[in-house]
Amino acid sequence: MARGLQGCPICTSVGSADKVHCAGCGATLHAGWAESIQQTWAWLLTSAMLYLPANFLPITYTLYFGKETESTILGGVVKFWEHGDRPIAIIIFTASVLVPLGKMVVLAWMCLSVQLGSSFALRQKTILYRITEYIGRWSMIDVFVVGILVALIQLGNIMTVRPGIAAVAFAGMVVTQMLAAASFDPRLLWSVGEGQNSR
Amino acid sequence: MACHECDLLVDVPALAAGQKAYCPRCNYLLAANRPHALEMVLTFAVSGLLFLVLSTAFPFLGFSASGQERTVSLLQSILILVNNLPSLAVIIFAAIVLIPGMFLVGAIYVSAAIRFKRLLPGTVDVLRWTLMLLPWSMGEIFLISILVAFVKILSIADVSLGLSFWTYVLFTVCMAVVVLYPDKREFWNRVWALNHG
Repeated sequence: MARGLQGCPICTSVGSADKVHCAGCGATLHAGWAESIQQTWAWLLTSAMLYLPANFLPITYTLYFGKETESTILGGVVKFWEHGDRPIAIIIFTASVLVPLGKMVVLAWMCLSVQLGSSFALRQKTILYRITEYIGRWSMIDVFVVGILVALIQLGNIMTVRPGIAAVAFAGMVVTQMLAAASFDPRLLWSVGEGQNSR
Repeated sequence: MACHECDLLVDVPALAAGQKAYCPRCNYLLAANRPHALEMVLTFAVSGLLFLVLSTAFPFLGFSASGQERTVSLLQSILILVNNLPSLAVIIFAAIVLIPGMFLVGAIYVSAAIRFKRLLPGTVDVLRWTLMLLPWSMGEIFLISILVAFVKILSIADVSLGLSFWTYVLFTVCMAVVVLYPDKREFWNRVWALNHG
C-alpha cells in the first residue's frame, strides 16, 4: 500500500506497514515480503508432497460379502469412466485431482511472479488469488464423504467400508493449501516498481 | 480503513442505520450499519449453539441394505472413525463440531460484553480468535458432502435423514446469519469503545 501503511485483515484498522502486530487487535500481520513468500513456498511444498499419497494410496477399503477391495481416487475415476459414467468420472477428476493441483500451480505462479518482479496481468492474478483462497476449504468434501461412508456402511461381512490413509493425506493437503493461500499477501503482486526491498 | 479487496485508503463516514459504504474504486462492501446487529448475533449464536448440541445426540443418518437397517448419531459416527483411523476422526470432529462451537461461544462472549457494556476479560483476544477460527469452520461444506455421499450410496442401499440432521441444517442457517449479517468493523469499534471507556 502507498504511504507505508497497511490494513489489518482481522479488525480492518490501518497502521504503519513496518509493524508486526496490529495496534487495534494484536493480530500478527504479514511479515515482510520475503517471509510471506517463504511461508507460502513452505506450505506449498508440504501440500505437494501430500498430493501424491492422497491420490495414489487407498482412500477406502470396501468389504462386500467377505471380499475386500481397496480404492484410490484415481482408481475410482478410471472405474467410473470404464463403466460408462463419464460425466461422474469427469466431475470427480476435476474436483479431487485437477482443482487441488490447480490451486498449487496458481500459488506457485503468484510467488514466482513476485520474486521475478513481473507486472503481467496484475488485476487478473489478484482475482485468481481470491478464487484460489475462496475454494480452498471446499476440497474438504472428499474427506467428509469418506467419513460419512465409513460411519454409515457398517454391516459386518455383508458390507463394510474402512477409511484409508489417503483420506488423512488429502485432509493434510487441503489444510496446507489453505495455510499457503493465507500466508501469501496479494498486495505483494502490486509492489512491482514500488521498491520491494523497502519492506 | 483500507479496502480489503483493492487496498485503497477510504475514510468511512459514520453510517445511519441501514446505510452501506462501498469502495469507490472497486465497489467492495466496506461497511454496513445493520439495524439490531448485536441482538441478531446474540440470538442466532445462542440458537445455533443449541442446535449444534442437539445435532450430536439424536439419529443423524440412516442406512439400510439387504434387509438390515441402522441409524447413527453424529457422536457415534465420530467414534466409529476413532476406531478406524483416529487422525481422520480428529480432523472431521474439529471441522464440523468443535471449531464451529468455539466460534459461536466466542461470538456470544463478545456480543454479551458489548450488550451489557462491560469489558469481560480478554474480549479483544476472544474477538480476534473467533474471527481467525472462521475459515476452519466447515458445517456448510459437511452438508454438501452428505449430498455427495448419498449420490454414491443410493445405487446400493437406501438412506434416510434423522432428527439430528435437521437440527444440523438449522445450526448452519444460524451460523450463516451470525457470520454474514453483522459488520465486523462495527463490533471492533464497540469493543474499542469499551476498552477506552
